[in-house]
Amino acid sequence: MFSKLLPERLPSTWRLALLQCITIATSIALCLTLAGMALRSDLETISRRILLDDLGEYSSVYEMAGLDGIARMFVSGRHENTEGVRVTSADGTIVLRESLSDPEKGFPWPALTSLRKLPEMKGVKAIEHPGKQPHVLIGRVFLPDGKLLWYGRTNESDRGYIQHINLYLWYAGVAAALIALVPIFWYAGEVLQPVRSMIASALALARGSGRERLAASSAVPELREFAAAFNTVLDRNEELTSELQAANDQLAHELRTPLARIRGNLEAFHDSVSEPAARDAAARGLDEIDRASSLVQTILTVRAGEHQALALHREPLSIRELLTDIVDLYTISAEDSGVVMKLDVTEDRTMMIDQQRLTQAIANLLDNALTYTPQAGSITVRCELDETQCIIHVEDTGPGVKPGEEENIWMRFVRGSAASAKSPGMGLGLSLVRAVATAHGGATGVNHRPGGGADFWISLPSEA
Amino acid sequence: MRLLLAEDDPELTRQVVACLEKAGHEVACYDRGDAALAAAVQKAFDEVILDVNMPGMNGFQVVEEMRAKEEIVPVIFLTARDGVVDRVRGLTAGGDDYLTKPFAMEELLARIDVQLRRAQQSGTGQRRIGEWFLDTRQRRLRKSNGEGVDLQPRECALLELLLDHPGRTLTKKFLLDKVWNIRFDPGTNVVDAMVCRLRRKLDVPGHTSSIQTVRGKGYVFKASS
Repeated sequence: MFSKLLPERLPSTWRLALLQCITIATSIALCLTLAGMALRSDLETISRRILLDDLGEYSSVYEMAGLDGIARMFVSGRHENTEGVRVTSADGTIVLRESLSDPEKGFPWPALTSLRKLPEMKGVKAIEHPGKQPHVLIGRVFLPDGKLLWYGRTNESDRGYIQHINLYLWYAGVAAALIALVPIFWYAGEVLQPVRSMIASALALARGSGRERLAASSAVPELREFAAAFNTVLDRNEELTSELQAANDQLAHELRTPLARIRGNLEAFHDSVSEPAARDAAARGLDEIDRASSLVQTILTVRAGEHQALALHREPLSIRELLTDIVDLYTISAEDSGVVMKLDVTEDRTMMIDQQRLTQAIANLLDNALTYTPQAGSITVRCELDETQCIIHVEDTGPGVKPGEEENIWMRFVRGSAASAKSPGMGLGLSLVRAVATAHGGATGVNHRPGGGADFWISLPSEA
Repeated sequence: MRLLLAEDDPELTRQVVACLEKAGHEVACYDRGDAALAAAVQKAFDEVILDVNMPGMNGFQVVEEMRAKEEIVPVIFLTARDGVVDRVRGLTAGGDDYLTKPFAMEELLARIDVQLRRAQQSGTGQRRIGEWFLDTRQRRLRKSNGEGVDLQPRECALLELLLDHPGRTLTKKFLLDKVWNIRFDPGTNVVDAMVCRLRRKLDVPGHTSSIQTVRGKGYVFKASS
């Protein structure tokens, strides 16, 4: 929930610290509120007691010096709050009124009738004044002659006192929350450091050869467990990969050796017969055997590529030379089918690539383009270079790829709907392109060329 | 020439031996890697042909051992493994060439020739084809009357390769490997087209071409008398 409240982009350290800060601030606010309430009720109790004391004092002065005594004592007294005293006769007539300093404006005495109704010596009543926060506490006692002595006082100074204390408590609270940020920040940074190094390690893993493992040596125990579990998965994957490679080698051997035997016999037969029809049949058989063995090889390559088990032989090669050679390979075929072949490479870069595999991948794209581009069309091989990658485009003016087929044409044995029974191929060409690109750490895709036709591309990371 | 063949598949051994003997070589056969190694070190052979997957010791190990014992005879691998990595492994182990099964017998013969010729260090700057002289340095065909035709680098490489193996049928696969450095089937007629261009430059109209097509197999250079 909090992760939603806090901005997602903020680093975890900040988010944790912010969360902690909010928690501390909330609890301090709660404490302050409770403390304030306790203080207020304490002060009110004290005020009531003082009021009752005052009433007692005034009533004994009355016994000794009468109304004048009360008036004198009131006037000579020092009043911290706005206070007032009043004596009423039994019938309610006011006999003495020493008012709160500004009685009628600020704190009017309540109507006498309501005053009368104050319960006996329960003593003190708080009267809220509409519109003003302070209130008046009023108490009364019966004087010996049956008159009533009233005494009232506002709680202004108490409130000022409380506000003062509150203000300092709040300062202290905010300061505490801010100070708490520092250790939290430090600790969160400490805890997250291993996570960050694990991320770096995982990234290295993604680029690596598959032998690397996730490192979490200084991490908290849970993270170490996670890394161990993750590494077990990697170990298993590596095991499977090497099993697959071994199985591929085995399969290749099992298939190629009998093919070699058949080929040898057929070749001997071809050489020993002189009848043209028999020679022709044998020649065709030899062709088919070669095609079958290259198909076996392609399937194995694609399969290895799908399981990240395609071993590459990388060497430093110039992209321009590579593309020039490939285009050269297809120029004559293109001329024969009346298609113009263009090479558009302005910049060059030396990259660590597997020459045979990448040549085969791009050759597959060109072969495809040639199959689908009609007479008088054109095929352009283009290369885009930037800091992070190199993208090789093969653009044609053929029918293009049908919308919706952009992804599944890369799958094994899937042929686009533009493929006809006439055009050769088993739908392995593009799978091989993808397998090779992926093994290089790159990607493949197809765009629609503006003006019709397909734009197949292979991207290769620069560090490859 | 005395050749050593180490191959554990009896049928394939029979075929290869038949082909090599027909081409005039003398062949000693072994079906185990360790036996082949012992023989290669003890006896003098002109060339060694090794299968990679063999009982006893695999082909890569045999070559490594041979090279460690300073046996410098040329070695050709014959293998069912077609990864570039395997190929590189074979060549770094000390092999000189690498041929993947299934293969054309003619291709094996051509590759044996290449190694033998390299061992003998021939190769002159000028070769004769009919009334033409090929200058490989300038990539130019010349007649004695001064008439001349320029060749493109690949045309020249192809012609040189054919001249190196007179009378031997060279497969398209072999030509693609040697001239274009391509070891997969690119599905184009680039070899046929290049041969066609060479013929146009070389041949005299009305005469049989010096580069002949062997259907289902490849091309052969026949020196005209």
